[in-house]
Amino acid sequence: MLANGEIGRVSMKASFLFVQVFFCLCVLFSCSKKLDLSQKVLYQRVKAEIKGFDPIHASDSYSAREVSKVYEGLFEYHYLKRPYTLAPNLADGMPHIADDGLTYTFKIRRGVYFHDNPCFENGQGRELTAEDFVYSIMRLADPKNSSPGWWVLDEKIKGLNEWRDLQKTAEMSDYNLSIEGLKALDKYTLQFILKRPFPQFLYSLAMQFTSVVPKEAVKKYKSEFINNPVGTGAYMTETFNALSNKIVYVANPKFREKFYPTEGSEGDEERGLLKAAGKRVPFIKKIVTYIMPEHSPAWLSFLKGEVDELEIPKDNFDQAIAPDKSVTNNLSQKGVEVEVENALDVTYFAFNHTNPLLQNLNLRRAMSLAINRDKLNELFYHGLGIKAQTPIPPGIKGYDESYKNKYTAYNIQEAKSLLEQAGYKDGKGLPEIAYDTISTTVYRQIAEFFVKEMAQIGVKVKPNFNTWPQLLKKIKTRQTQIHAISWVADYPDAENFLQLLYGPNSAPGANGSNFNDSIFNQKFSHVSLMQDSSERTKLYVQLAQEVAEKVPWILGVHRTNFRLKHGWIKNYKGTEFKHGIEQYWDIDLDKKKELIAKF
Amino acid sequence: MIEAIMKKESALNKMNEKTYLIERSKSLYQDAFERLLKDKAAVAAAVVVFFYSVIAILSSMGIIAADWNTEVGPSYSPPSASFWLGTDIFGRDVFTKIIHGTQVAMSVGLFTSLIAIPVGVILGAISGYYGGLVDELIVWFYTTISSIPSIMLIISISLIMGKGLVAVYVALGTTSWVSLCRLIRGEVMKHKNRDYVQAAQALGGSKLRQLFKHILPNVTHIVIINASLQFQIAIKSEVILSFLGIGVQSQPSWGTMIDDAKLELVGRGVWWQLVGATIAMFIIVLAFNILGDALRDALDPKLKGKN
Repeated sequence: MLANGEIGRVSMKASFLFVQVFFCLCVLFSCSKKLDLSQKVLYQRVKAEIKGFDPIHASDSYSAREVSKVYEGLFEYHYLKRPYTLAPNLADGMPHIADDGLTYTFKIRRGVYFHDNPCFENGQGRELTAEDFVYSIMRLADPKNSSPGWWVLDEKIKGLNEWRDLQKTAEMSDYNLSIEGLKALDKYTLQFILKRPFPQFLYSLAMQFTSVVPKEAVKKYKSEFINNPVGTGAYMTETFNALSNKIVYVANPKFREKFYPTEGSEGDEERGLLKAAGKRVPFIKKIVTYIMPEHSPAWLSFLKGEVDELEIPKDNFDQAIAPDKSVTNNLSQKGVEVEVENALDVTYFAFNHTNPLLQNLNLRRAMSLAINRDKLNELFYHGLGIKAQTPIPPGIKGYDESYKNKYTAYNIQEAKSLLEQAGYKDGKGLPEIAYDTISTTVYRQIAEFFVKEMAQIGVKVKPNFNTWPQLLKKIKTRQTQIHAISWVADYPDAENFLQLLYGPNSAPGANGSNFNDSIFNQKFSHVSLMQDSSERTKLYVQLAQEVAEKVPWILGVHRTNFRLKHGWIKNYKGTEFKHGIEQYWDIDLDKKKELIAKF
Repeated sequence: MIEAIMKKESALNKMNEKTYLIERSKSLYQDAFERLLKDKAAVAAAVVVFFYSVIAILSSMGIIAADWNTEVGPSYSPPSASFWLGTDIFGRDVFTKIIHGTQVAMSVGLFTSLIAIPVGVILGAISGYYGGLVDELIVWFYTTISSIPSIMLIISISLIMGKGLVAVYVALGTTSWVSLCRLIRGEVMKHKNRDYVQAAQALGGSKLRQLFKHILPNVTHIVIINASLQFQIAIKSEVILSFLGIGVQSQPSWGTMIDDAKLELVGRGVWWQLVGATIAMFIIVLAFNILGDALRDALDPKLKGKN
């Protein structure tokens, strides 16, 4: 029985391999694209098919990046500043926030026009008004659109949820009803009233979901609006066909006067990132985006200079990056440069604090000290991760580079003595501890690593391997003892990481470790309501360090991503927020001709 | 000179007589054994199987490869005099892991056969002998099981039972009895109308006696052939399951080693885990296949006298 299945599988595999090879070859030959060297054209690769050009449906990062070339929101992330900082985009300056922290009043930038499009009178794009934002946000809330991005405003704005509920039963959604918390006070003034203070609200206005769309286009194109983007952005689509593997954008000829930032963060000046300061964007006239799901063709296209920048495919990592973390000789001869991006995340092994055994602080500290994080980093993250000292990753206010957590060091002796203080000398009397993780190769290896490290101090650990939904279910029902997991920022605010330890957020909430410390809870609920300020950052730093020393988790690393780019791309800075960054890039055509000739 | 020739001849005659005598009295199994011994490939295969079994037993007793989990050198050091097959991600000796993997593989083969063979034989015999409703029920049962893709069945069983070696035994054991059951059923149906069974019946032998005392011994060769093939299928399946991450946990298996190699091979060029585990598996699977074929040649009455 099984034998039959096996033979079938083998031959299927073989034929699959054949198809793959054939397909790769086809893609390879069809990929011999002609490079346009007469003007500044950017060639990009996107890893997945995108879900069209409707901001409220662009829930994956690939779609979001494409959408953000055409559409804009009130805010964007400052292109150069780190930690990540919000900068007004379509908003004219930062909003006025009332003392109660509930009312946000925005001025809308004047003289912003939508792209020229047949949906407007005479085909001329009209001026953007505050009403357009009201409409776009109602569209996001409209249950008939079932947007996957609704969560960003759910239960945030006064009256919006009620309006949404009302439309669920209505035959046609009524956009004329007025909503208390969402109003255009005049042509250029927009006001939000929140249900309760939520200083992180501004981040949701930098997400693609809250981008502004003109109602004329939605009305004209209806369900085809997703294929006919009309925005205010620096680029507009020249050709977009959902079935094609190529998207072509051209610079928006009527783009407002927008300028390259004049200030950056440390080191930007030296790297030449401020040479374009104050110049009008965009610099690049045309963008060609190839949809290439397969890694190998993307890699080969990059090597031929047919794609200008690329996330390093995992399989090609060693071909691209030398052991000293610079690009390999092969690539550096071609002028390829590497850009390091710190992922806004943290990997950790969470203790379940509802388990009485793991409430033992000395035990937790001992286990944390037994992990050799250098080795963890070397074995599983190419040695490129940053060892986490607190939950807050670099790139976010609240990260303190100078701080070293004494319980994230590797110190077996100290670990053993703490274990003794915990009442389990050399692990005697300590029951076997369950370790839950998912059953992929890397997570299995990490589990083996964890078991080995714990065995050094006599702590016995038994790994359980789960599917991802199984693991989530176990965490939500508090059935784990230790589980391996990571958190990726929803928005670049330390609050998003510290809330993972806030008692009232315990499982099924985001606090899967069910850590519940009254002092931390109290301090966190205070700081989470503060608006961004240096005082708040100071409190974040302090709070993160205090809690990290209570070892609620065994901290792992903050991961890093590497991107490669060719030498002719200028003003390139790695970022986790890639929305609309192409408008700041430039191409050195002479250099490109010179380098391409060498390929 | 002539004397010498005569001596030789008489010796030859004696030998012939001896052979003749033995040939007349030897049983099916004796005969098969002798035929097997003549087949050099089969002998080699049997030696390999024996060798693997010894390794597996020694390893399970903790005499060899007990220290597979200790770090003996740096991560990913290539094969050398001190590490014959290099080291893995944690600096453990790959050769020792392969030895320990042999224990896992052989135990899976053994326990799977121990589950599958009794189930297959008993159900097949009952179904073939009694016929009627019982037969229909059993046929319905095994057709149902065989209509479910076995890999899906195995995955769901190991998900229900929780992962681990025992789940692998049960999952493979409960899915691999069908072909044996079918064969036995057919064979029993054929035998139950034979003269010797009818004679047993005429003498007043009960149905169970007819079945187990008379028919079953006459179909045992099928079981033996099947067992050796079953064994290698179980070994392969274990490797596949472990590769997919639903097999053996927290101890080395050839499957998890190949799974590791998936990440090591391309980026780092670490080929020794893959090669070591694959060759270890290849040899035993090949040996069982050769042995299975030779057993069939030796035991199947229909093939007798063909070589």
